[in-house]
Amino acid sequence: MVALARKTLIYEWRRFLPAMLAVGFAGLLQLLQIALVLGIFGSTSIYITGSSADVWVGYPGTQSVGQGRAINAGVESRVLMDPAVERVEPYIWVDGDWRGPHETGGVSVFVSGIDPSPNGLMFSKALPASLRARLAEPDAVIVDRSVLDQLGVGLGETATINGHQVTVVGISTGLRALGGINVLCSLDTARQLDGDPEDIGPTYLVAKLYHPAQADAVAQRLRGDTAFGPYTTWSAQDFANRSVRYWMFDTGAGAGVLFLAGIVFLVGAAITSQTLIAAVNGSVREYATLNALGVGVAALRRVVLEQAFWVGALGLLGASVLGMVLLLLARSQDVPVVLNVPAALACIVLVMGLAAISGLAAMRSLRRADPATLLR
Amino acid sequence: MLNVPSPADSPLPALQAEAVSKAFGTGNLRTQVLDNLSLRIEAGELTLISGPSGCGKSTLLAILSGLQKVDNGRVLALGSELGQLDLKALERFRLEHTGFVFQGFNLFPALSAFEQVELPLNHMGLSRSEARERAHCSLDEVGMARRMKLRPSELSGGEKQRVAIARALAKEPELLFADEPTSALDAANGQMIIDILHRIARIHGTTVLCVSHDPRLVIHADRVLSMEDGRILSDRRNQAPVIDSKVVSQ
Repeated sequence: MVALARKTLIYEWRRFLPAMLAVGFAGLLQLLQIALVLGIFGSTSIYITGSSADVWVGYPGTQSVGQGRAINAGVESRVLMDPAVERVEPYIWVDGDWRGPHETGGVSVFVSGIDPSPNGLMFSKALPASLRARLAEPDAVIVDRSVLDQLGVGLGETATINGHQVTVVGISTGLRALGGINVLCSLDTARQLDGDPEDIGPTYLVAKLYHPAQADAVAQRLRGDTAFGPYTTWSAQDFANRSVRYWMFDTGAGAGVLFLAGIVFLVGAAITSQTLIAAVNGSVREYATLNALGVGVAALRRVVLEQAFWVGALGLLGASVLGMVLLLLARSQDVPVVLNVPAALACIVLVMGLAAISGLAAMRSLRRADPATLLR
Repeated sequence: MLNVPSPADSPLPALQAEAVSKAFGTGNLRTQVLDNLSLRIEAGELTLISGPSGCGKSTLLAILSGLQKVDNGRVLALGSELGQLDLKALERFRLEHTGFVFQGFNLFPALSAFEQVELPLNHMGLSRSEARERAHCSLDEVGMARRMKLRPSELSGGEKQRVAIARALAKEPELLFADEPTSALDAANGQMIIDILHRIARIHGTTVLCVSHDPRLVIHADRVLSMEDGRILSDRRNQAPVIDSKVVSQ
């Protein structure tokens, strides 16, 4: 079989280049957008995903990690009574006002008070053990590398949070927050920093189970007990999703992202279909001749669709290579980007869908390939 | 090679038009291009239709080849009534029985001469080897075997038309339609195309119907029909007449 679609694509590559670029850049934009969204909104659940707790206990109705309220410390014993629970530790969230040694003004910070012991659950995946141990010192804090300029501090320097002096004992990576800055300290330090007299208990209790797979069941059976005042439970996965969902949809950011994705798709499809239509029009007499010789319209349509497929595949290849380079660059600059398999698949589907729609649009111009018009 | 009955042993013409009419446009702007025209084209002959521009000769070719429908009357090609066939069946009919050569050569820029000829054969259900063999033979027949690896941009006008003829010929059609095949070519190349078309009718027994106003074609045709205003004015034979041939022009 003579590979008309591919040979034409190679021979007349200049004609198809705009379509490939349009598909490629549309794909690249979608890819980077998805990676950024996953990275940025994923950072709203870093407290959960960066820790090894299986079940979270917090105030009922909490919509995202940063919005917790204190619960009764007595809940801890209730949770520990459950035979599936291996370990429970408190987690204290304090909203703080940071004043650095240099002129940075007041900076809003999210203080995370965690258990600094080596088997502590909070941030166990994000914080190396040596760094974590330094938090045991009184008034010691750890800040993220990406926010040193904003906080106006360096390692070993002091600052104040809520008027209380703290010392930076370590620099972490990958703990960027959305809408504020994460500062890590021990539970004791956090209690010192919390100026609210109503906060008498921890903001959360986090529990590790013997069998992490039981998280949903355990969360379910710990829920609904009111002996220690209001509290509720989530599996870690549920609570992480809840946090990301809150930021994606309740803040309007997600709608913006979807809107932009739609625009990129439309613009890409418009350019690609126009290029393919021009390519079909450029060969319309040859197509008409084939039709005169008895080659069916269906076969000619397949040629156009095959061209659209190759344009999509080549555009996707370019987008993938460029996208990987840009994602690595972003990582090296602490820009939060995350790409997972479903997101990459979504990108591929979008790009090939774009190519397919453009191909279908171009197929319509085959109507002009009427062999009778050749006899004029 | 082909099983087309010759005019001598069968009264069935290769092509037959019975009182066909065709008009273009709508309402008051309607132009009658063919007016109640009847015609028989015998198998295995090179028939030339000549006439001034706009006389309806190209429309007649389009109708006889099944590329266009008639308003009135009927067209029989190899015994099939073309008006009865739907679009798919017409494509099938053209695939199996007809070849076309157009004024513009209409070759794909990306394909070599060999691939241009092979491409339609792929759609005829031939094996790969048979398609390649036929393409080779037919390019050889038009004297293009040595240049079959070249793309259209590397060929002269006459060579392109020879490839286009090879593309039609490789299908081994009973009917070959040619529309002004020489008008874009110089004298020498035009002559070569005429010779090839003539030979195709002689050797393969193919019915060649050619529309042209090129006077050089006239002496090579078995039969010359002159058209004007949608009617046939004259019908001449250049060689021994075929008994059953007649033109009814009303």
